[in-house]
Amino acid sequence: MDYQNLFTQTQVIGPDNHGVPINSYDQRERSKGISFNYLLGKIGNAQLGPIYLGRLGVASIIFGVAAFVIIGFHMLAQVNWSPIQFVRQLFWLSLDAPSPKYGLRLAPLSEGGWWNICGIFLTISILLWWMRTYRRAKALGLGTHVAWAFAAAIWLFLVLGLFRPVLMGSWSEGVPFGIFSHLDWTAALSIRYGNLFYNPFHMLSIFFLYGSVLLFGMHGATILAVGRYGGEREIEQIVDRGTASERAALFWRWTMGFNATMESIHRWAWWFAVLCPISGGIGILLTGTFVDNWYVWAIHHGMVPSYPLTNVIDPAIATPPFNPPMEGVK
Amino acid sequence: MAMLNFERKYRVRGGTLIGGDLFDFWVGPFYVGFFGVTTLFFSFLGTAMILWGAAHQGTFNVWTINIAPPDLKYGLGPAPMMEGGLWQIITICALGAFGSWALREMEIARKLGMGLHVPFTYLTAVFAYFSLEVIRPVMMGAWGHAFPYGIMSHLDWVSNTGYQYLHFHYNPAHMIAVSLFFGTTLALSLHGALVLSSTNPGGGQTVKTPEHEDTFFRDLIGYSVGTLGIHRVGVFLAVAAVFWSAVCIILSGPFWTRGWPEWWTWWLNMPIWH
Amino acid sequence: MKKAYLSFIVLLGAMMVLSGCERPAFQKAQNGFRGTAMVDIQNPRINADKAKLNELPPSTGLAPAEGEKASKVYQNVKVLGNLSQAQFTTFMVTMTSWIAPNEGCAYCHNVANFAEDSKYTKTVSRRMIQMTQNINANWKDHVQGTGVTCYTCHRGNHIPQNVWFKDNPQNATGTSLGNRNGQNQASESVGYASLTYEPFSKYLLASNPARIQGKDGLPNGNVHSLQETEDVYGLMMHFSKSLGVNCTYCHNSRAFSDWSQSTPQRSQSWYGIQMVKDVNNTYINSLQGVFPAHRLGKEGDIAKTNCATCHQGVNKPLYGKSMLADYPYLAQAYPTTVVADKKATTK
Repeated sequence: MDYQNLFTQTQVIGPDNHGVPINSYDQRERSKGISFNYLLGKIGNAQLGPIYLGRLGVASIIFGVAAFVIIGFHMLAQVNWSPIQFVRQLFWLSLDAPSPKYGLRLAPLSEGGWWNICGIFLTISILLWWMRTYRRAKALGLGTHVAWAFAAAIWLFLVLGLFRPVLMGSWSEGVPFGIFSHLDWTAALSIRYGNLFYNPFHMLSIFFLYGSVLLFGMHGATILAVGRYGGEREIEQIVDRGTASERAALFWRWTMGFNATMESIHRWAWWFAVLCPISGGIGILLTGTFVDNWYVWAIHHGMVPSYPLTNVIDPAIATPPFNPPMEGVK
Repeated sequence: MAMLNFERKYRVRGGTLIGGDLFDFWVGPFYVGFFGVTTLFFSFLGTAMILWGAAHQGTFNVWTINIAPPDLKYGLGPAPMMEGGLWQIITICALGAFGSWALREMEIARKLGMGLHVPFTYLTAVFAYFSLEVIRPVMMGAWGHAFPYGIMSHLDWVSNTGYQYLHFHYNPAHMIAVSLFFGTTLALSLHGALVLSSTNPGGGQTVKTPEHEDTFFRDLIGYSVGTLGIHRVGVFLAVAAVFWSAVCIILSGPFWTRGWPEWWTWWLNMPIWH
Repeated sequence: MKKAYLSFIVLLGAMMVLSGCERPAFQKAQNGFRGTAMVDIQNPRINADKAKLNELPPSTGLAPAEGEKASKVYQNVKVLGNLSQAQFTTFMVTMTSWIAPNEGCAYCHNVANFAEDSKYTKTVSRRMIQMTQNINANWKDHVQGTGVTCYTCHRGNHIPQNVWFKDNPQNATGTSLGNRNGQNQASESVGYASLTYEPFSKYLLASNPARIQGKDGLPNGNVHSLQETEDVYGLMMHFSKSLGVNCTYCHNSRAFSDWSQSTPQRSQSWYGIQMVKDVNNTYINSLQGVFPAHRLGKEGDIAKTNCATCHQGVNKPLYGKSMLADYPYLAQAYPTTVVADKKATTK
């Protein structure tokens, strides 16, 4: 079978690449360690490192590790400090948000206070990391597109953990820190608010999610397909269009009638990927605050297909529910 | 003629799989080819069927149009037209159109001297559709298990299919697929941003080089996959996301009938710690 | 060589994971409009192991109702006085085989003096008989004409195999860490999800509303929280596991709360909830103080019922076969002079 440009056949190791020089102060922040990994080299660059440490980065890691460790010790405590049970029950364990009765007040540590603290640390860590992505781009004379893409994801993160709980008046609406528990939260949100599939911003967000996967499949495949003409040299192809860009563009023009350019495809990519968390965050923010039941909302907007009715009547209309007597009920 | 200023030299004969020179021409910017004709045929027929179904339903509201598969009682046989037969014909047209599209992409790629990566990637998406509408229903013995054609109605199907397994988020293949979907979107945003940041550095700066791109990611996270690598990663993530999605739904029903949380008991009950 | 190792490890991993799956075989029932995916899927291979549990016990047949009443023949008969002597004695033997087949009469009686109330089990069983009669007479909306007997729950055990106790939400170290918040544990009670693992106190003992969806599109005073939603979801997981069915057996999940899209089973299940509340409050809890310490839960409460107590994994207990034909006196409630002996001596 012909070579399909999927795995590098011959790996060439050159001298360590220490990166584009930055100012001498920053140069010291780059770590010394550089190594090469054969398996990575089958796919892309084999070089690991150096990494730029920096004050923002180190501070971000500290806060991030603190949040991680709080979650971890809380989970360990949930299994009575048994490391074996910790591994066994890991996916079920969780650091939960406070109970609704605390509203927006800081709950006692044993009843959700740690969730608040963890949330603050994680938020600080993420914001510091965002500043890092901005600074590193500026230091290298690059545009700040990575930072602004990250900002879209941070928007969604803040909606889920901060903006929406505040608007709802209760930290209990926040997402718990746990594998299965955050999935339970997702299902509960949809059940409580009348089926999130009927939320138009949810639809948009999924459209951009699937669209991003589609686009990366398309774009990645296109570049690999013109690899023999140097298609992956995208910067050079952008400023000086070569036969790789031309064939790539014509492939799509002939297939679907229009095409992007070597530069504009990256704009399509950026916007599709970024609009997924942006519209998703809007959809979450509107849920419970401005819309209580998305299915009913959709009925009012003529979006709901009808199926034959089952003619089942709510039994509670005719029969009162059983209410236990007052005394003797614990 | 709707041609780009460099296009003429690329419009050569050849690359076709079937039909030779018969359909080897363009209409406007579109390449036709034998499979362009079949695509058009299946698309028109399928769309006409959908419109017929909508007329019969009595609505052209784009949200509420619903062409549903047959009742389970019809099994894998043909159903009366207005009781699911329409759905069956539309499905055949869809598969015909999707397959034709893939083969047309192959012809175009061959004509342009390109690898076949695009039609291959596209076929994995078609495989996902095929597994939902054909493989799984056949394994379960009835076309009625497939999803209906309708914007909101197909989402109602998704909701109920999920709740057939009580809490579909616990499906491990679904977890992998979702993670890959989010990961692909993350990688796409990073790749788009990185290329744009080199070519649009702003503020009177010069266009940067791939060395700057590598340096940025090495500074940021200690590793840069490189210009070729990122496209391999992108295709791999996208194809894997679609593959695991197909796996997660084929497992549900044919290979698992209980709630998905209960599947995890094999882990909980392992002898080393039970 | 490396490739071989790698493939072997991948294969081993896949086998381990896939061993959790089922070998295909299915029965399906369609519960809604075509294309809505409201389908009940059963794997007969998995359900085969429930067959033994749901076999009907042997019956001695219908005992004659003629002859002297039991209250005349025996002493201290408080609940079954209206039965004939033949009915009474056959029922005693049968009931023993349903509850205490190995211990025999001595499980409830002082065999030197059958009339004595010295064992707590005798007091409990009187209340249980009243409970059974109440279910069959007054809760036909749920149990229909099929009804229940002691066997439906007990199946030959002293205590039914599926009961529940109140739980002290875990706060492991007593300090600020480790509170499980009543969930985040892989409990069979909620089908191994991470949801609230004891939702029964709230909905099957107390009478909290399980309806958490709002009726209006825009906010209009519906203050149910996500935590409450997870509690209800946990309860629903219990329903599904207890009956061996999925959510679409009762609901169209696109609008869980809409009755006009739900199946008739949802209505029957609503009556089931009310019935279980009646059982737990009026009958079980009325026996507080009768049970000895080793029968009580961590909070000092008695074992209570939920759906699994009768259903035991099948949508109709005992596959829907009725036992009442041979025990017609279990199908009606008789007026009695006793409610419950709270101060009976315990073992």
